[in-house]
Amino acid sequence: MSDIAATDYSIVEEEPPELLARNLRTASHLLASATAFFFLAFVFGYFYLRSLNNAGLWHPKSVSASQAYGAVVMALTVASAFLVRLGLFDHRRGRRPQWRVKGGAALAAGLAAIVLQIVEWTQIGFGPADGGYASIFYGWTAFQVLFAVGALFWLENILATSLRYGKIASGAPAPGEASGDPHRTAHDIRDPLSLVRAGLEAVSFYWAFLAGLAVLAWIILYLI
Amino acid sequence: MTAFRRLIGFNLLTAVVLGIGGWYLGWFIGHQITGKSLDFFGEIDQNDISIFLGYFMGVIAFLLGLGFGVYPWARMRGYPPSLREKETAGIGRYFTLCTDHKVVGIQYLWGIGLFFFVGGLNAMFIRAELLSPTNHIFPPGQYLTLVGMHGTMMMGMMTSGILGPFANYVVPLMIGARRMAFPRIEALTFWLLMAAGTILVTTILFGGFPTGWTGYEPLNDQANGGMDAYIAFFALVGISMTLLGLNLMATIITMRAPGLTWSRLPIFCWGVVSTAILMVLAAPVLVAVLSMAMLDRTGQTSFFIASAGGSPYLYENLFWIFGHPEVYILALPGFGIVLELLPVFSRKPLWGYRLAVAGLMGVTLLSWLVWQHHLFVSGINSDLRPFYMLSTELISIPTGFTFLCGLMTIWRGQLRFTVPMLFCLAWFFNFLIGGLSGVFLSDTPSDVTTHGSFFSMAHFHYTIMGGLVFTFFAAIYYWVPKMFGVELNELLGKIHFWLMFIAFNSTFGPLFAVGFLGQPRRVVSYPSHLQFLNDWVSVSAFVLGFSMLIFLANLVYCLVFARVPAPANPWASLSLEFQLPSPVPVHNFERVPVFTGDPYGYGEAAPPVGVPAPSPAGGMS
Repeated sequence: MSDIAATDYSIVEEEPPELLARNLRTASHLLASATAFFFLAFVFGYFYLRSLNNAGLWHPKSVSASQAYGAVVMALTVASAFLVRLGLFDHRRGRRPQWRVKGGAALAAGLAAIVLQIVEWTQIGFGPADGGYASIFYGWTAFQVLFAVGALFWLENILATSLRYGKIASGAPAPGEASGDPHRTAHDIRDPLSLVRAGLEAVSFYWAFLAGLAVLAWIILYLI
Repeated sequence: MTAFRRLIGFNLLTAVVLGIGGWYLGWFIGHQITGKSLDFFGEIDQNDISIFLGYFMGVIAFLLGLGFGVYPWARMRGYPPSLREKETAGIGRYFTLCTDHKVVGIQYLWGIGLFFFVGGLNAMFIRAELLSPTNHIFPPGQYLTLVGMHGTMMMGMMTSGILGPFANYVVPLMIGARRMAFPRIEALTFWLLMAAGTILVTTILFGGFPTGWTGYEPLNDQANGGMDAYIAFFALVGISMTLLGLNLMATIITMRAPGLTWSRLPIFCWGVVSTAILMVLAAPVLVAVLSMAMLDRTGQTSFFIASAGGSPYLYENLFWIFGHPEVYILALPGFGIVLELLPVFSRKPLWGYRLAVAGLMGVTLLSWLVWQHHLFVSGINSDLRPFYMLSTELISIPTGFTFLCGLMTIWRGQLRFTVPMLFCLAWFFNFLIGGLSGVFLSDTPSDVTTHGSFFSMAHFHYTIMGGLVFTFFAAIYYWVPKMFGVELNELLGKIHFWLMFIAFNSTFGPLFAVGFLGQPRRVVSYPSHLQFLNDWVSVSAFVLGFSMLIFLANLVYCLVFARVPAPANPWASLSLEFQLPSPVPVHNFERVPVFTGDPYGYGEAAPPVGVPAPSPAGGMS
């Protein structure tokens, strides 16, 4: 087994920030692919159970989701993703205060979508036991909320870094701040603050992808 | 004082204590949700919500105890990104969150080995029970749980059997990288898997589960609390697989050293890429279908309840949309290892590199189009049968590419019958039988005859154990000297190989006959005229189990007692990892290497890979 007396960070510090930026971009695409296949199971389930209509209980007449709630949840998600995209454009042009405003608004819109989805569950008038459609509806929307929470946590991380170091020049934070290692003499990454852009690009893509899924969910669960 | 502080810091001990506490907290909250009761610990009535919440909160607390909460908490408060957690020296780093890919690889090797042993032990119990035509050791219900635990443990944990220890350890070295793309996620995949394995073992506390490794509905919905352990286990394995695949793909896509083009990528890395594609895309379907099953058991949904608008066939379809690619998730890394090792021990370049890559990617693609062959006897539309029969038969073509490339590589080579080479050669024999019987089973009429019998069981043991486990051992004998800097005993290795090879074939070969004679899987009793064959198989299985003990003795003896230092390049390999000293320095490369060719130029004048630092060690051919 390789044994180390102490980590020599002077050797590992030389990694250029472009590398982690590339990793984040690749990972966001792969994560989107995995997410697509996760929800593909619900799409498959929707059409499979609908075509079978076992015991005539696919979609009893009493089961009806609120069009208004569905549309507003979807619209808020799309608006949130759009705001992140606009924030990214601001960041690329060096307008960082504007990005923070749009990022905060996107976070608020995303959280509002989640809260409204929870409110819809309490007001909807049917339960998960009311047939195949009801099961798909509750399962799909529940996991959509879960994935949205994850994406918004990611967005919050980037926004928080941007806010904390808003007035500090790039590369200024003390080495080891993130991991809480006081013995570090240098950063893992040459310029960790430059990764705000990379992270923002990655989360912007993924959140836009989830917004696309929200539109698909709205079409399938509310319109068809 | 330092020792005490280490003891209460983020480590496995803290994680276990917090994990148990978290489990009871979840259990308590579950009872508050479903109805207050003070009888939390001696309860008789089944409470699935409590069990699931217990597992969920137990896993979260376990991960927090290992230190996985520190970084997200720092990031949430706006601290900048960082690559590594604090790395400690010595053995302690193997029992906590460590972001060194080599440490994670070794953690995987021991962790997977532990659960492989548990799964193997279950197999021994199964064969002990089948020594008699009527149940004599375990009641039928317990026998079913043993069968289910054996299958689920093996199919779940061994998905990462090669990628976990070897891809994590070797891929960054092979591609000239200093680390994996996402080191914390790499560590997370390992610890999630350990939590999952522990959860599966706890199924016996809740009465086990009767479904086997497939967890079929409607039995799944009707089973007792032990089924929750199956669902939680496989869902965690699915999450771990997805993240492992994502991390490996990101690493290979973005972190290759200069000059390492796709056409120069070591073939093992291609095996990893093809497996990772399946992991990233198929494992989420597993997580989704198990989430549905969990909701059916806890949230009153009816995804799989036909009388309430659902359908158990939905489960069967979704499970096999994951399940058949899963078979190739197990097989493809083995293909990669065989093709990687054959040139080294044949002293010839890999024959048909592009054909081999096409074979790997062809299997990856076709594995999505075959899942309904598992449902031939389930009442599917008969018009669908020819398509799935044909697509299943087609998959033998890209598999044949791999075979062809392997055989042509050893053709007229200067073969060295080392232990890893013997395991690779055994793969040809085993996988040939597994593959041919697979073609037979893909044919609808013959599948209808043999479905659910020991014939199909023999088939998949020839492909999975013959294909994966033999290559797993090839990889261990090949890379352990590099991983630990210590030689394994060659004689004990050869005894292990021959005993395992003979016992394996003596165990599973007769099961084809047993299946043809009508013995069904997962049934504790069988007709008395099949006892001789069953006894033969059981005794062979015990010898197979004994061969594993020889391996274990070899490993422990060489790593703990003998500790004979291994040369840096014991196999005279041209692959980059063997150009580094043993054990590998913590940061792998002080300067990034530059590739000028592929690593299979055996017999050529100049070594194909430039390794600038610190100094090449070991011999070159």
